[in-house]
Amino acid sequence: MILARILALAKIPIEWIELRTGAIAFSKPMLFHHVPRSAKWWYVFGSATLMFFTIQIVTGVCLGTMYAPSAAQAWESLRYIDEDVPFGWMLRALHGWSSTAMVVMMVIHMLQVFLHGSFKFPRELNWITGVFLLLTVLALAFTGQVMRWDQDAYWGLGIGAAIVDRVPIFGDQMRGLLLGGPIIGGETLNRFFALHVFILPGAAIALVGVHMTLIIKNGISEMPKPGAVVVPSTYRKEFEERMEKTGVPFFPDAVQRDMVFCGTCLIILIILAASFGPFGPGGMPDPTLIDTNPRPDYPFMWIFGAVSLLPPASETAIMLITPAIGVLILIAVPFLSNSGERAPSRRPGMVLVAVFVVMAIVALTYEGVTSPWSPVMDAWSSLATPAQFIKGRTPLQVQGAVVFQSVQCRNCHELGGFGGKRGPALDEISTRLSPDQLVRQIQQGGGNMPAFGKNLNSAQMSALVAFLGTLRPENEPDSKIPGANLPLPTSMSPPDRGVLTR
Amino acid sequence: MMHLRVASVFLCAMLAIVVACERLPGAPKASIPVVVGSPSWTLATFNTNCRGCHSQGAEGAALPLVNPGYWKIANDDQITKVIALGQGVSMPGYLDENGGPFSADEIDALVKGMRSMWGGEPHDGNPVLPGTISPTLVVGDAVAGALVFESACANCHGANGPAGSVTDPMYLRLISDQGLWSAVVYGRSELGSPPWNSPMPNHPNGLTPTEVADVVSWLATKRTQ
Ligand code: HEC
Ligand code: HEC
Ligand code: HEC
Repeated sequence: MILARILALAKIPIEWIELRTGAIAFSKPMLFHHVPRSAKWWYVFGSATLMFFTIQIVTGVCLGTMYAPSAAQAWESLRYIDEDVPFGWMLRALHGWSSTAMVVMMVIHMLQVFLHGSFKFPRELNWITGVFLLLTVLALAFTGQVMRWDQDAYWGLGIGAAIVDRVPIFGDQMRGLLLGGPIIGGETLNRFFALHVFILPGAAIALVGVHMTLIIKNGISEMPKPGAVVVPSTYRKEFEERMEKTGVPFFPDAVQRDMVFCGTCLIILIILAASFGPFGPGGMPDPTLIDTNPRPDYPFMWIFGAVSLLPPASETAIMLITPAIGVLILIAVPFLSNSGERAPSRRPGMVLVAVFVVMAIVALTYEGVTSPWSPVMDAWSSLATPAQFIKGRTPLQVQGAVVFQSVQCRNCHELGGFGGKRGPALDEISTRLSPDQLVRQIQQGGGNMPAFGKNLNSAQMSALVAFLGTLRPENEPDSKIPGANLPLPTSMSPPDRGVLTR
Repeated sequence: MMHLRVASVFLCAMLAIVVACERLPGAPKASIPVVVGSPSWTLATFNTNCRGCHSQGAEGAALPLVNPGYWKIANDDQITKVIALGQGVSMPGYLDENGGPFSADEIDALVKGMRSMWGGEPHDGNPVLPGTISPTLVVGDAVAGALVFESACANCHGANGPAGSVTDPMYLRLISDQGLWSAVVYGRSELGSPPWNSPMPNHPNGLTPTEVADVVSWLATKRTQ
């Protein structure tokens, strides 16, 4: 009785709003539109992706109220969120894990759509907006990692800068645009913050809107049946007829499965966040963490692995061209075949392609997780040049060691067992390269080493090469570089030359 | 009914997580607050930001700072300025206004901390410094400096000298006048480079402050040639 009254009362404002907005009339077809009866558990991945996206927005807005996007305060504000804000760390953990989960779920969703040929007529644009969503979400994950402003962020930025640096002609300008200056600095963080909280989420929300509109317009595809071919000229009419006859309403029939799946995902997400905690921030002000291994977040681990396996010569091509070709191929998928069979059993080639891509990503991710190959962000200012490489050197060579530290070669190269592991250790480099080859390597870089050409003056270059020319194994006293191999001054004490201090 | 039970189990689980929040395995361990100016802060700051170039003994490519001999002569105001603004080609400025990581207060604290750690002890190893010398660069007489170099330094730094050239313009372009001055005054005895007041050829008692100024001025003239 009372319930009926309350319902009747509630109707008044609802009708008032409906009269003015048409919101119910607008959303009714969305809720109750017919979906194929065969649309079973295969179809839940898209909804789960959307759920993770919603979680990202909610947690992201909360984090945005507490995060300080300035190079000096970012790290401290994360510590504050982690340690002083009630549930702050949980918020960060959810945001981090949900970001990874979203990328994973999105890839699964795409694989399902690809394997079932759901991108064929009339859903080509569903696929293409999906590809752009994938790119936007990857960009969000990348810029999100930069927000932590720790050593992992440095890895991502370093690689990103190296990639745009290689763009012919405009490389320098693009690097400046990306980093807000020639080097990674405070400007960089502000720039990435704007991307991460304004531009990219805006783009993602717009794309999700277009994607959903297209789904409602074109309907959800049926489970593929061998022999049930897509014929663009008749498909839409037949599909709508079948939906009319055999379809079930999206709400509540199909939505139930979505909800069970999303609920399970949510529980797993919370368990992950609760047991593994937030991502980073790793190694910033802790001096004992000299040899931390910066790693990108999981969505980019396979790139990290791929870059570590690259043959040096082919590198520019791979870094620049492969991603572009990959995106083009993804966009082209529905144009390469938009009609005909959808069933995987009738498209064995496509199944092989999908299996290959999955295996490649898994293998490269494994390589990325296990490879010891990485720079050390503060090696240049924290790891002293070992005494054995200073003793018995001329002043110019010692200045070369200073340059080696000050232009941060040490961040990527080990000396005496300490330093970055991105490039090879240089302890014995004079036995491998001549001074000319050294100059070329330093000026032109290559093989993942940045080109230093314009950034070093001739004095720095000659000192550097003079120093590197003295790096040789102890049992091989003769350097190939004349004059590099002076006797230790301490062993020199003819009586007429005065007394040495030691 | 079934739904209600599932929902209540779910709610209870959420409640348990909320209650146990700070004790969950994923909760980050509290970081130990660092007090700016404390010995551990000073050491950590130095180790991360400076040790790569300024270490001790024969280690490190630039002038060692873990060195009481340095702190006997060097002047805190001047050190503070160098750290804030940088010096020469390779010493970066550390003041935040110059793009560095530290505030002016932090640089002050670092200098005070380093002095109390390494400045108090007696000058170990080397003879105790007999004379005193002003730590700031004084412009000397380059002509007189040429003679000082000839008599005191040429044995080691002249043509074919075992210590290598210090008049190579490439070398001189990389070091400031103040840096040359410090190289002559503090030396690096572990590398065989004598401090200013230790015996040198023809100068059994070392150099006088005037001779130091003269020889540095002479070296500086070689930079432009
Ligand atoms: C961003 C990391 C990075 C930095 C910074 C860097 N390098 Fe490299 N360097 C590399 C990598 C990676 C290689 C391997 C290139 C290849 O595979 O051909 C390399 C190769 C070299 C080689 C050739 C080694 C060999 O065994 O053939 C030399 C010499 C070298 N670097 C010197 C330097 C010097 C000097 C600097 C500072 C001016 C420097 N590098 C800065 C990454 C770096
Ligand atoms: C007993 C030999 C000896 C004498 C005498 C000597 N030096 Fe040196 N000096 C060295 C050695 C060895 C080094 C190498 C250490 C180094 O490169 O830092 C050196 C280094 C230097 C450097 C470079 C320091 C750096 O870090 O760049 C300068 C400048 C220098 N000496 C100037 C002088 C001057 C000026 C005199 C004369 C007043 C002099 N030296 C006398 C042995 C000597
Ligand atoms: C990349 C190497 C490098 C790093 C890192 C570095 N310095 Fe220096 N520093 C130098 C060089 C090289 C000079 C000499 C420059 C010149 O005069 O040409 C110098 C000079 C100095 C001087 C002046 C010495 C004198 O009296 O002549 C002081 C003081 C100093 N540094 C302190 C520091 C402190 C403190 C830090 C850490 C916060 C630091 N430096 C980090 C390379 C470095």
